[in-house]
Amino acid sequence: MAEPVPVSQPQSSAPVNEDELVRGARRGDLKAYDELVKRYQERIYATLYHMTSNHEDANDLAQESFIKAFQALKSFKGGSSFYTWLYRIAVNKTINFLKQRKNRTHMSLDNLDFNAEHDPDLMALISEQTPRRAAGLTELQEKLNEALMKLSESHRLVVVMHDVQGLSHEEIAEAVDCNVGTVRSRLFYARQQLQGYLADYLKPT
Amino acid sequence: MNENENNFESLRRLLALKRHETPPPGYFENFSAEVAARLRAGEGGAAERPAIELPWLFRLLSAFEAKPAFAGGFAFALCLLLLLGIVYAERPDVALQPLLRTAQVSSPLAMATPGDLSSPPAAQPGFISSTNPIFNTPSTPSWFVDSQPAIAQQVSFTLPGN
Repeated sequence: MAEPVPVSQPQSSAPVNEDELVRGARRGDLKAYDELVKRYQERIYATLYHMTSNHEDANDLAQESFIKAFQALKSFKGGSSFYTWLYRIAVNKTINFLKQRKNRTHMSLDNLDFNAEHDPDLMALISEQTPRRAAGLTELQEKLNEALMKLSESHRLVVVMHDVQGLSHEEIAEAVDCNVGTVRSRLFYARQQLQGYLADYLKPT
Repeated sequence: MNENENNFESLRRLLALKRHETPPPGYFENFSAEVAARLRAGEGGAAERPAIELPWLFRLLSAFEAKPAFAGGFAFALCLLLLLGIVYAERPDVALQPLLRTAQVSSPLAMATPGDLSSPPAAQPGFISSTNPIFNTPSTPSWFVDSQPAIAQQVSFTLPGN
């Protein structure tokens, strides 16, 4: 009889198959679930942060999403990937949260990393706004987040997933549970709205 | 679509700024530990799971959370069922007649006095054959259906002049 595969392995060994981790977590193995959390925490947090523009809210929602997913693992049938299923839980939780929060928008933005100051595209955008680069980037960050928060949740989600996180239309359609045409039209509308809000910061094409 | 993509190129470059927003240093090193701690503290831990697991209930609740319209439809169906139940319960001719007949036959008082069998207790005025509140329902007013037959009484007035 084959020995059970250990789910927590040293980092030097080959990565454990996701299906094995899901099976382990379903049996209540917290080590296996911990590995799944580590795998997807950054992507889930990033989506929730870009949706809320608030670090504390994103942190709470991300933790609750992982806890909820663990509780509901028995209902995960494997029809989609674990990540898509987890993503759906996180997105639904966030949309419900934002609907309850409504107009009580309080931004708590993460800091920009070092690379932002060396991004030629961003430098080109702010060069005409202000001679001080750091101040220019921070201002641009605030305006961008304000503009995103003016969009509806469904439109913001599509822009975040496509233009910020780089997901394809098909991947978004699967995660949001709608068809590709809807994703495309939402993306077009959301970009048009954003272009209007951020006209002062965009170069004419 | 390509033309649209070109129109939004400047916007997409600006949106790239969002990718440079990062949480405080060390945040992700502690994140999974915090989730694990909450799970061990009882939020979904295996030890805290109920003895009887109901996977269908989990699926139902997940479906409610994913599709609020489904939850609304389910709630509407429940309300409709409740309303129908109340309406049918208020109609004694449908639901109570068989019960009444059974209760009259098996009434303990009637059995205790076999000599009175010729006149059923329920037929005697003011006699309550059972403590079962069902027997009192005909005298209580109904919200939906007026089950009491209207009683017509003759009234005569004597005018003072006559």
